[in-house]
Amino acid sequence: MSNKEHDVTRRQFLNYTLMGVGGFMAAGLLTPMVRFAIDPLLREEKGGKMVDVMAVKDITTEPQRKTFSIDKVDGWHKFKEQKIAYIFKKDNGEIMALSPVCTHLGCTVSWNDDPAHPNQFHCPCHGGRYTKDGINIPGTPPPAPLSVYEMKVKDGRLYLGAEKPRGGA
Amino acid sequence: MLQKVYDYIDERLDITPLWRDLADHEVPEHVNPAYHFSAFVYCFGGLTFFTIVIQILSGMFLTMYYVPDINNAWDSVYYLQNQVAYGQIVRGMHHWGASITIVMVFLHTLRVFFTGAYKKPRELNWIVGVLLFFVILGLGFTGYLLPWDMKALFATKVGLQIAESFPFIGDWIKLLLQGSDIVGAQTLARFFAIHVFFLPALLMGLMAAHFLMIRRQGISGPL
Amino acid sequence: MHRGKGMKFVGDSRVPDKAKFVPPKDYSEYPGKTEVFLPNFLLKEWMVGAVFLIGFLILTMSDAAPLEKEADPTSSGYIPLPDWYFLFLYQLLKYPYASGHFKLIGTVIIPGLAALALLLAPWLDRGFERRPVKRPIATGIMLLTVVSIVYLTWEATVSHNWALSEEQGKIVKQVEVDKSSKGYQLYSQNCAGCHGNNLDGGVGPALIGQNLPEAVVESMATKGGGNMPPGVFKGSEEDLKTLAKFVSEVSKK
Repeated sequence: MSNKEHDVTRRQFLNYTLMGVGGFMAAGLLTPMVRFAIDPLLREEKGGKMVDVMAVKDITTEPQRKTFSIDKVDGWHKFKEQKIAYIFKKDNGEIMALSPVCTHLGCTVSWNDDPAHPNQFHCPCHGGRYTKDGINIPGTPPPAPLSVYEMKVKDGRLYLGAEKPRGGA
Repeated sequence: MLQKVYDYIDERLDITPLWRDLADHEVPEHVNPAYHFSAFVYCFGGLTFFTIVIQILSGMFLTMYYVPDINNAWDSVYYLQNQVAYGQIVRGMHHWGASITIVMVFLHTLRVFFTGAYKKPRELNWIVGVLLFFVILGLGFTGYLLPWDMKALFATKVGLQIAESFPFIGDWIKLLLQGSDIVGAQTLARFFAIHVFFLPALLMGLMAAHFLMIRRQGISGPL
Repeated sequence: MHRGKGMKFVGDSRVPDKAKFVPPKDYSEYPGKTEVFLPNFLLKEWMVGAVFLIGFLILTMSDAAPLEKEADPTSSGYIPLPDWYFLFLYQLLKYPYASGHFKLIGTVIIPGLAALALLLAPWLDRGFERRPVKRPIATGIMLLTVVSIVYLTWEATVSHNWALSEEQGKIVKQVEVDKSSKGYQLYSQNCAGCHGNNLDGGVGPALIGQNLPEAVVESMATKGGGNMPPGVFKGSEEDLKTLAKFVSEVSKK
């Protein structure tokens, strides 16, 4: 038997086998645990229902703060998630419902609370500002306009759905 | 009596060399504050270890009352702080101890940096030390959420938003940490697991490596 | 200690058959005033530790660890503040070159580069010289980093409205509010943005426990006062009365 053709020694063979069995044990232990840990990444998102928020006739050109709640499931925790919307009529009569979640780092903006900049949305965290239409004002931290809610009007009532980001601008 | 117990164990396990190696090693003059007061800067490493011991102990005891569940977390913290005897002190140890650990780690890092102690042959121990620093910051970040009060929730939201801005994998990191599409029940459970099991395990492994390397290489010489 | 062949072990273990006691070395062999770790040096370390512990225990007894009111995800206007050792990072994100389109610079690039440089310091600064004055570049960069961290933390501290955030975080007793009432609807439209959905505060102070007479509510809602701007309430005189009655009642609970 020549060593040139079979140059794996007995010791090497045993070492490879050891690594193989070790790898199998590590994989066997870790696969279920890793899949368990990353489960939230692989879950399908369920679309929410539209929720009745207010009567269309009450909508004015001044943004009104409205809270509404949607049914939310967070793992085992089922609850009503409170959402906030600023609802108003644009100058052309179109209805707009803005989400007050700042696109910079997720703080909550409020309407017209900064005396230095009237009639704007203002974020208390880093001083981000938006116009009434939710467009971020250049030179302030936010990178994108405020999200708008999906909406529909039915029987004179306004229904709101999911937030739709408007992308960087 | 104690001597006999020791002899009995030592005869069977030969434990004397284990601790004599630690006990008999020579501590050089330039790190000894008794000879040079300025050598107190060499105490920061030991004090970091001391504060970490305080954190581990007080943390273990806090979990006797704390519940990682969004409906009860805040109430359990309020209860243990205000109703349980010495609750203020034990929670205070963990809360203030966290800040002081960060300060000590920072000072220890600066000492090692400015004395050039990270240079050859101690590069690997410097790497382990910096990783320890990051683990401790991670412990600070995950521990901040656990009382489930206003600042905990909103600071965590901002922190996760920062993680999300990471290119390409930001969304995954955020979702993996958050465990859900909102900061809620699953986030709290996850942060608890990370804060109490994953990071401390990592911390202890790295600390063991840190100390073994110090013992192996000795303290760097005087400047 | 003898090693290798010739060593006899107990059975198949690594424990030597006859462990001999190894006496500690004579310390006079070492140059300088070295001393043995146990017990001499450890005693000094523990004395430092004991002094430290006294200060630490005094701190825990004199200052209770802060706890704000229970987290309420719907609260708007709450100004988040990270723990103090992340403040510099938080402050960095306020600057125009680290936010907006350049957000990535503030959140990932600057902290990432700093962390990487720290991790790889032994390979970035490879000379054998250890004294800080003899390696000005490394020392300079580190000093600059420390100064900027201190500066950013300081900036974040002075620009934060501490009084407001204390007000916002205060633990307020929870009160049942009838959310179907006419008064609450008016409250929700006019006041909730600042005073919170449960009258427990937000940008403005909590109203629960304030014991407000109706007249005060009416005048605050229309004429303002303190930090509150005038003309917040928009609606009829009758609605104002309903609102004032509602708020006044809840504030007395």
